[in-house]
Amino acid sequence: MKFSYNWIREYVPEMDTPARQLERLITMRTAECEGIASTGELLEQACAARIESVEPISGSHNVKAFVHTGRYGDKVVVCGAPNCRPGMVSAYVPIGEKVLHGIESDGMLASGAELGVNRDAAGILELDSQVGAPLPGCVPDSIIEIDNKSITHRPDLWGHFGMAREVAAIVRRPLCDPVKPELVPLDAAAIGVDIEDLDLCPRYSALVFENVTIKPSPLWLQYRLTAIGLNPINNIVDMTNYIMSELAQPMHAFDRDLLHGDTIFVRRAREGESLAALNEQDYTLAAANLVIADARGPVALAGVIGGMHSAIVGGTRRIVLESATFNAASVRRTSSAQKLRTDASMRFEKSQDPANTVRGLARAVELLAELSPGIRLVGGLADQRKEIPAPPPILLPLDWLARKLGKHTASEEVRDILERLAFGVSASAPGVFSVTVPSWRATRDISLKEDLVEEVGRMIGYDSIEPKPPAVLTTVPPFNAERAFERKVRGVFANQGFAEVYNYSFVAEADARAFGMDPADHVAVANPIAPNQSLLRMSLLPELRGNVLENSKHQDSFRLFEIGREIHKQPQGLPRETPHLAAAIYSKGGDGVEGLFEMKRVAECLMPGAQARPAASRKYEHPARTAEVHWRGTVVGRLFELHPSLAEGRTAMLDLDLAVVQQRAPKEKKYSTIRRYPSSAFDLSVVAGMRELVGDLRDKLAALAGETLESIEYLREYSGPPLPEGTRSVSFRLTAGSPERTLSSEEVGAIRARLIEGMRAQGYDLRV
Amino acid sequence: MLETQLSDLASGALARILAAGSPQELETVRVEVLGRKGSVAQISKEMGKVAPEERAYIGKLLNAAKQELEAALESRQQHFAEAALRTRLDAEWVDLTLPAPGPRMGHLHPITQIQSEIEDLFVSLGFAVLDGPEVETEYYNFDALNIPADHPARDMQDTFWLTDGNLLRTHTSPVQVRGMERLGPPLRMIAPGRSFRNENVDASHEHTFYQLEGMMVDREVSVAHLIYFMKTLLTAIFRREMTVRLRPGYFPFVEPGFELDIRCLICGGTGCAVCKQSGWVELLPCGLVNPNVLRMSGIDPEQWNGFAFGLGLTRLAMMRYGIDDIRLLQGGDLRFLQQF
Repeated sequence: MKFSYNWIREYVPEMDTPARQLERLITMRTAECEGIASTGELLEQACAARIESVEPISGSHNVKAFVHTGRYGDKVVVCGAPNCRPGMVSAYVPIGEKVLHGIESDGMLASGAELGVNRDAAGILELDSQVGAPLPGCVPDSIIEIDNKSITHRPDLWGHFGMAREVAAIVRRPLCDPVKPELVPLDAAAIGVDIEDLDLCPRYSALVFENVTIKPSPLWLQYRLTAIGLNPINNIVDMTNYIMSELAQPMHAFDRDLLHGDTIFVRRAREGESLAALNEQDYTLAAANLVIADARGPVALAGVIGGMHSAIVGGTRRIVLESATFNAASVRRTSSAQKLRTDASMRFEKSQDPANTVRGLARAVELLAELSPGIRLVGGLADQRKEIPAPPPILLPLDWLARKLGKHTASEEVRDILERLAFGVSASAPGVFSVTVPSWRATRDISLKEDLVEEVGRMIGYDSIEPKPPAVLTTVPPFNAERAFERKVRGVFANQGFAEVYNYSFVAEADARAFGMDPADHVAVANPIAPNQSLLRMSLLPELRGNVLENSKHQDSFRLFEIGREIHKQPQGLPRETPHLAAAIYSKGGDGVEGLFEMKRVAECLMPGAQARPAASRKYEHPARTAEVHWRGTVVGRLFELHPSLAEGRTAMLDLDLAVVQQRAPKEKKYSTIRRYPSSAFDLSVVAGMRELVGDLRDKLAALAGETLESIEYLREYSGPPLPEGTRSVSFRLTAGSPERTLSSEEVGAIRARLIEGMRAQGYDLRV
Repeated sequence: MLETQLSDLASGALARILAAGSPQELETVRVEVLGRKGSVAQISKEMGKVAPEERAYIGKLLNAAKQELEAALESRQQHFAEAALRTRLDAEWVDLTLPAPGPRMGHLHPITQIQSEIEDLFVSLGFAVLDGPEVETEYYNFDALNIPADHPARDMQDTFWLTDGNLLRTHTSPVQVRGMERLGPPLRMIAPGRSFRNENVDASHEHTFYQLEGMMVDREVSVAHLIYFMKTLLTAIFRREMTVRLRPGYFPFVEPGFELDIRCLICGGTGCAVCKQSGWVELLPCGLVNPNVLRMSGIDPEQWNGFAFGLGLTRLAMMRYGIDDIRLLQGGDLRFLQQF
């Protein structure tokens, strides 16, 4: 929302704080200013000037104008405006001395857009002022832009007067209220108002005017609106926009002669009703939309936009001026359902003050007298309203206030601050203020004593509060085992040369399919930002593969990992989020074996003793290079090479369910005595089939070896003569020993014999 | 006669030892002279023939000759051993300027790094580190934080809604509520994590970002305490004394609510492009916990007070490392990640 410094100063005439300083004060005390800009800088020097005569310039659309400026003497100006003609009074600015078409042009005749007073750039301004006089009501201004988010809770700050109240409180100068309530006639109303549901429309006030003249607004009004980003249209529409920007009260003018019947209905729309709105769009309405209707049907979408058919046009003679309050949630729902946000809906959804409607009308009566000379009121105020009881006063204990702020504030200062902000303050008990809330702060903003802490705190300035360490018990916080474990895993992978990536929680449908997952099984986003980000990931692998593809453009080998959550749909309630680790070792060349075993080694760094066991391959896995990872009796994840159709080169991948890994991880370490007696080692070679798993052979040997076996280590394998075709010899080194004594050579020999015999019994040949 | 023989042998053998050109040659000499059947042994055998009165004298000479030869032999052996070692060591010359094989140290994501640092800091101050789900219910993300349906404050956080009616959390604040429900007062907690806003991605906007929520609930908690913690936090993060300012900010779950700004680190407060000429950079929203929020989580606001803050880890990482494009953080580009 943009605020004009001059406009604010109208209500705080004694304020002498410069705009830039005021902007900082507002930021520190009230709401965030996003910036400050100058506008209408040329107005400083502009004056009304009469064009005495005009000469054409051959070969140009421009003309040579002889201008009588009064203030700057007589000037020759080259002007390109189509409306430049002798006898007219326009705006002259003494800048831009230059030679055009061989003519010395001294100064310029300016359009409204050039001066910043309106958006009209089609021709130079046409004035009816005295020659030499400044443009009436138009002086340079500073525009302060306030972040809308920071006034979400302040319906009153959506108008200049509300902001002026804050400014008056900040700079401690008196505030002048522009509203003269006595201007609203209390005679019988000339139009009826029928509100179906007072909760949806707590107040609807209206006045009827006749003998209206539709014409452009005076320049000062056009300038005001233009300066804060609104577009001047005609005197009636501009007046409603002006009052909205002044009092935060949105208003709407209907052409009385285009309304059917003598009653304005405020009601829910009937299913299927429609409205042709002022923005030239047609809206199909539903019962959730509140409308303003005449005897025939909707004429406005309540609090959002007016209808085209009853709009003010050049020939309008009588108007109905609406000044109402609508339920904030209802306006917001309608505005978002119809995808239509307007200056009015933005204000109403902040919970506007019902007491403000008649103030707006009083202001309109005063302004219309100037804007549309000869205008007359027809009848008095139409005003239907819900009785809203005044909220109970808030008790504010001053010692509590001091404890909340961490700083003592003198009671007189607290009272002064609150009263400047229009709160009513009385001492209800020693050290306790009873505070009544002004109506424009009571709609939603303020109802608790905590809300008053903010009022006092911001006005004394939070910078005046000294930081203080709290006096609290020293306690050891509860341990977060999951997080500690994830940190450990990160450490392992980083130490083994992996770079950590963060990927989105979204996955594209095509990627999900490529990884063998059904898009329908995913949790889906209702309003995705892009079609390829419409599903929540059930696996970290698709995106990690994306990382591999991207990075393989720049590097021949690398290692990546991510720790993130898989999100799995549940029949009801929240999805299940499981922490996973996904890691990749990529190599552009090679046969891929090295990467797989390197990944296996790293997995064992995290999970000592983990085993890879063959498993049926999944769609994205190399069918002959796939294993389940087992650790301490549980499947914890998968180790595989990425299917070559998904990435060129070789990509070894590991996918671990970290919740399971953590659950299996040994919690405590326990020392066992170091063996004092030497162990004995011997080697055995088993002849096995070409694809017989070393792990299986090892397990068989270990099972036969019995409890004296200390370790069994794979040494090497060999195929070729003299071994039969299709077989290979796999050699192991076995170590046996006892914690109590040294095994005798006979005992060791017996173990060895048992192994050989046992393996032979299972059909294996042993090379001994 | 034996004496002469001994003297000749000694001088001859000594010459041969010194002349031996290789360990093998030296060994041959040793066997011939000092071996079991060697010259010295031969002479020893003949000691019996020596007159008894000369025997002691000759024996002494023999021993002296033997010792002299053994010493020479040992010295010569040592010479060869040393030479051999020198040769071997020289042959083992290695070019240590060659690159070392094997993987290098990997890289933790910059946000991981900054998050760990802040977690450790808060744990040292007695704060628990809590987690919450990334997919949240409307209740925890909004209602329990005093943002009912149709409240305009919902516009402040463009939300990814899910088809099942849940949503992707727009901030880490729901973990406050879960933390209060789970742990009850008094309470000190932080909750770092991933958050989502439905906005288009460009160099300074991301739909996925990282926040660190913090909350303290105790008997006496004031604005002064909040400022203390924030200054302590920021001084620790930036490793220098930080100038901060609090100004009003509106967030329905706190009352009063603040925006905390830090003195711009780039220009030191004189005004620059980063701070939009204001000298201050908006860093974190914070405030005293709204009594409605405490009440909804089952905590009596007449007995307990609290503060809460939301630190943007993404923003902080960008400031700390001078990252000028937010998209890099989720981009998975090693040329970026390898710098951390």
